[in-house]
Amino acid sequence: MDREWNDSQPIYRQLHDRVVAMILDGVLKEGDPLPSVRNVAAEYRVNPLTVLKGYQQLVEEELVEKRRGLGMFVKDGVRNLLLQGERQKFLSEEWPRIHATMRRLGLTPEELLDAAGPAPNAKSSTGSDTKDEER
Amino acid sequence: MKPLRLMLPALLMLLSIVAFAQTDAQKSFDQMKTLSGTWLGAVKVDPPQHEIDGTEIRVSLRVTSRGNAIMHEMKAAGTPDDPTRYDDPITMLYLDNDRLLLTHYCDAGNRPRMVGKLSADGTKVEFDFLDVAGSTQYGHMQHAVFTIIDANHHTEDWTYLMPGDKPMHAHFDLQRKN
Repeated sequence: MDREWNDSQPIYRQLHDRVVAMILDGVLKEGDPLPSVRNVAAEYRVNPLTVLKGYQQLVEEELVEKRRGLGMFVKDGVRNLLLQGERQKFLSEEWPRIHATMRRLGLTPEELLDAAGPAPNAKSSTGSDTKDEER
Repeated sequence: MKPLRLMLPALLMLLSIVAFAQTDAQKSFDQMKTLSGTWLGAVKVDPPQHEIDGTEIRVSLRVTSRGNAIMHEMKAAGTPDDPTRYDDPITMLYLDNDRLLLTHYCDAGNRPRMVGKLSADGTKVEFDFLDVAGSTQYGHMQHAVFTIIDANHHTEDWTYLMPGDKPMHAHFDLQRKN
């Protein structure tokens, strides 16, 4: 996790978003434990109550579950759920803006793909597990 | 004329009593001032989160502005003093006519105000939500209770309303360090 915080959101919300990003990126897999509240608080020098607020929101959103005496764990099926949500958000909120810019600048999809370079998940010609899951 | 002369001392005494009678708010404020100092203690939360129970919290209360305000700060014990980087919220307590008010400068970016009320036995000051400045998109502090057990021991109960109005409650059991 990044150690720097921005000023646009409370730290607890940024922590929440980083855990979501870690799940989407496959860094945290379904069934994995979240780093302990105390460890995150100590490592990132934030108030443990702040960490707890971020984690509590993940619980409220049913992305993680508490296991008594063991801590918090990423729930099964969460990655696909998050992917669906994030894709929908991208298509409805970001894509119209990007598409408008592409049209304005006369950019083609091929030019954009060339500029982006090889896809990070393109490990082999058969495709990775991650790519399969995303489909 | 004689009855008036006899009544005058009683009248003056009554006036002085009225003039010096403390309002409940002043009593609450004076009671809060007795907490001035540095405190260390364990935290317990609800909904329960056992791995955080017992985490050490440092609270400091300082009477400032010639006695017109009390500054309260809560932070994880051992965290360096750097309010620009760290998320330790500040709370200011002050009198507003006949009310004891608290303004909580939250790391969530908003500033809820609460009104304090002293319990009948004088050991507890309970703050109820009054209003809030700033966005509550990410929730806000809603309620606070200070309970004085003795000169070296007090507890604090803080309730934060998460988005969707889900309460999160933290209880601090604090011992005086100085």
